[in-house]
Amino acid sequence: MNTVAWLILLLPLFSAVAIGLGSFRSRVASAVLSVGAVFGSFLLTMLLIADGGELRSSVGWLAFEGLQVDIGLQIDALSKLMLCVVTGVGSLIHIFSLGYMKEDRDFSRYFAFLSLFIFSMLGIVLADNFVMMFIFWELVGVSSYLLIGFWFEKPSAADAAKKAFLTNRVGDFGFLLGILMVWAALGSVGFAELRNAETTAVCGLAGFLIFCGAMGKSAQAPLHVWLPDAMEGPTPVSALIHAATMVAAGVYMLCRVFFLIDGTWAMEAIAWIGGLTSLLAALMAVQQDDIKRILAYSTLSQLGYMVMAVGLGSPDAAMFHLTTHASFKALLFLGAGSVIVALHHEQDIWKMGGLRERMPKTYWTFLIGTMALCGVPLFSGFFSKEAILDAALENNLLLFLVAVFVALLTTFYMTRLFIVAFMGKPRSSHAEQAKESPAVMTVPLLVLAVPSVIAGYFNAHAPNPLVLAASLVVLVFGMLVGNSVYSGADTDPLPARFSRLAKALRDRFWFDEIYKWLIDHVQENLAKLADAFDRWVIAGLLVRGAHGTTELAGRVLRLAQTGNLQTYAFWFAAGMAALLIFTLG
Amino acid sequence: MDGQLQFIQLEMMVATLGLLILLADLFLPSTARRSLGWVAAGALGLVFLLSFRGGYVALADAEAFGGIYRLDALAFFFKRFFLLAAIFVLVFAVDFAARLRGGVSEYLAFILFALTGMMFASSANDFSLLFVSIELITVTFYILVSFQRHRLHSLEAGVKYLILGAVSSAFLVYGIALVFGEAGSLKFEVIRGAHGELLESNVFLFGMLFVFAGLAFKISAFPFQVWAPDVYQGAPTPTTTFLAVGSKAAGFVLLIRLFASVVPELTAQWTGLLMTVAVLTILYGNLCAVPQHNLKRLLAYSGIANAGYLLMGIVAQSGDGTAAILYYLAGYLFTLVSAFMIINLVTREGEGEDIACLAGLNKRSPFLAFALALCAVSLAGIPPLAGFFGKFLLVKSVAAKAFGDAGYFALLAVAVFGVVVSIYYYFGIIRAIYWSKHTSVDSPVSVAWPTRIALGLCVAAILYLGLLPDKPINWANAAAKVEEKMSVDKK
Repeated sequence: MNTVAWLILLLPLFSAVAIGLGSFRSRVASAVLSVGAVFGSFLLTMLLIADGGELRSSVGWLAFEGLQVDIGLQIDALSKLMLCVVTGVGSLIHIFSLGYMKEDRDFSRYFAFLSLFIFSMLGIVLADNFVMMFIFWELVGVSSYLLIGFWFEKPSAADAAKKAFLTNRVGDFGFLLGILMVWAALGSVGFAELRNAETTAVCGLAGFLIFCGAMGKSAQAPLHVWLPDAMEGPTPVSALIHAATMVAAGVYMLCRVFFLIDGTWAMEAIAWIGGLTSLLAALMAVQQDDIKRILAYSTLSQLGYMVMAVGLGSPDAAMFHLTTHASFKALLFLGAGSVIVALHHEQDIWKMGGLRERMPKTYWTFLIGTMALCGVPLFSGFFSKEAILDAALENNLLLFLVAVFVALLTTFYMTRLFIVAFMGKPRSSHAEQAKESPAVMTVPLLVLAVPSVIAGYFNAHAPNPLVLAASLVVLVFGMLVGNSVYSGADTDPLPARFSRLAKALRDRFWFDEIYKWLIDHVQENLAKLADAFDRWVIAGLLVRGAHGTTELAGRVLRLAQTGNLQTYAFWFAAGMAALLIFTLG
Repeated sequence: MDGQLQFIQLEMMVATLGLLILLADLFLPSTARRSLGWVAAGALGLVFLLSFRGGYVALADAEAFGGIYRLDALAFFFKRFFLLAAIFVLVFAVDFAARLRGGVSEYLAFILFALTGMMFASSANDFSLLFVSIELITVTFYILVSFQRHRLHSLEAGVKYLILGAVSSAFLVYGIALVFGEAGSLKFEVIRGAHGELLESNVFLFGMLFVFAGLAFKISAFPFQVWAPDVYQGAPTPTTTFLAVGSKAAGFVLLIRLFASVVPELTAQWTGLLMTVAVLTILYGNLCAVPQHNLKRLLAYSGIANAGYLLMGIVAQSGDGTAAILYYLAGYLFTLVSAFMIINLVTREGEGEDIACLAGLNKRSPFLAFALALCAVSLAGIPPLAGFFGKFLLVKSVAAKAFGDAGYFALLAVAVFGVVVSIYYYFGIIRAIYWSKHTSVDSPVSVAWPTRIALGLCVAAILYLGLLPDKPINWANAAAKVEEKMSVDKK
């Protein structure tokens, strides 16, 4: 089983390297390699799960006094679940990409990056220590940069990639500090060793710093700004990064190291940041018009749920929601991708409409995804959302109210999206001529629809009656309101009615503007100061000064070298005299 | 072979070879004389191989001619070192023959005679042999330096070397006389045995100081370094190479013999003096090199600085220090030989060896450009090349002594400072090779194949010494042990 575990990790790496070095020219070979690798990893994961049991396997990498870093794999219930999500959803997205990227010039490059991304993500999932996790964490950052900026000739895509990378780096800085602090305080970076270590007072701070890493990757406020922009990448990439894998990495990591933060003040902070993120994101989603952006804000909001669940002390609920969310959000993104392709890359929902008859498979699967996301009873999202609401009700009444309100907003904006995009009459010529996507794209949708419905039953609990009642009320209320506002509408009526609020939502509470102002006024000035310091003090005074002094000394000494023989003989005699005086005088 | 003569079999072979070349000159047409150099190099190669012969090596740790001549691991090491250096210099001399304008065979023969002197020096176990072998080296070099009689520079350099060499020989012989007067013997054995009492005598100290001055002249240590830049620059380049490598190493083998094994207690007493000399030598060499534009002069100053670094090995007063000197010299041999060879190939006759003539070398001959850059990097002491490891060993041997004596730290600090300064001017060479804007010449450089082989070997050796230092260090340690053992035995 050791070999199997290593193979799961290494297959995608092999594919990425092979495509990069060998088959860059051949589209078929690249596709076969990449899809084969991720699907192979998926099958091996199934084998691992069928085999049962836990295992650890590690190779020594660095050994210093007081620090032992391994490259090691840890297979337990948590990593198996996550492996399943990553390779399963990953496989379907790879297959979907075959259709979506068919026309693209850089087909092979796309698949090489995709394989690299899967490799990095699997590294995070399997890592058995902080250092290895951090390495793969950064690799995910790099490969997501490559994928988001895949169409780098488009300035918006290049900018989005840069933004994603930089924002993540801000969080990763905290993560790195956290890791160092854990190592300093507890003397180890291995998860197994840390579990047995005596926790100390700094664990709260260390835990919060580690959470900063999750804040970047899982796009929690105030580091959420990169996620909506990252929709500039190809839609399957959005599905992969923003539904199933990268953003889930933060939540997964928090669950992995939950034992460290459990019971510290960091929990409170995490819960509140998660709750606030879910609220802000749900509000912003209400007034977006781009189908992928709506889904992106919805992802943010759901991630907020998960983080909040971790903060409320129930990582199980978080992982549960992560799993169900991975399947239905991937379904929604791929559905959106299917629509976008059919409409010749039109993403504005107000230019869609009437897709129900034209794209029936996409319509029905999208409906399933929407119902799962809204938490309609008996769909997977219902169970996992109940679990989180349960946890909130037990621990923090205020956060429970926030969560319920978010559920209401979720139902509202998803109803809006669904009615505007699929129902009514076509509002553009593209929408009129839309045709159903080919099988290579619809089959993954159908396959994803299955877990979106049933994934909840694996972990279903009898719900708390109060929670059940609350969620049913907001579900029905949200749907009714959404329906009454948007049914038959050709433009959004909200801006007319609540102009100020709608503008704030549309402008996403001006986060980007605030950051821009801060960077312009704070960072730029700091940079100018540092530049002046470098130019005048380092380069001017120190470097040029040292150089000048040395050169001058050389020139002065060279004066002794007159070329005159008598002078030289004199120096000899003087030197001899000096030696005599020095030793015998 | 006679019992005594077999000790000096290598020296006899080399001297005979020199005489044969002079004879051959009479019978060969002038066009064929150049190739005598390759023949001589090949013959020396044979001698080099013979030095590993079991019968010869078995003579180790024995003395001959009434104890004035000694064979041991240190002597073997240096004899082989000088043989290698001479082989390279001979190959080089063939390249240079056209610029000599006649007398090629004499030039080759004198190189061999100087080599004989160096090989005797590495076995000197007596002040008389020390003086005679040094004089053999120096007198031949007077001729070798001024060999380009048509060039005023060469003659000027010859005269300067002659007069200053005479002054230093005077110091040396005066010192020897004083030592003899006090000790009553010229034999190292006797002095080693008696130097406890001798240290009390100021006359003896006075004499030893003059001997030190004579040797300091050979290695161009401060304050006897003034001759080096002028002579290096004016001399024919193969002579410069042999002077910089062979003559300097001859000075060091004698310094090691005398100060590490004959009078170690005097060395301990003079630690301050030696350190001061080392510090000033390092500073003088490196600082003067900074504004320098003539490549041969630059390497002369760099040679002065390197003498300072090598003195650190004497200051360390340990087997490690001696081993470090040997290792460093080995790296220095290959580096300097290839550097001078390339400089000679690149510059044309009549032109100065200005740093600007390196411009565009990377286009004219990528291999030469690479090799010269490698030499500069190695001289600058950057890992993983020979120069780095040599400096590292020297610094390490001094650092091992440093605890408990602040003076050593000052020496280390100066050494590090010197290295930093040296990086500046060595990289000036690299910059000239790769990043010069003005290129006056862009014709490819033609290189004869023996030179090519020699350069290839040098580059390989620089890399080998730096990358896989274990074996060479063992050799150096084995050669250095002799001295340590002898001084311990005596106590």
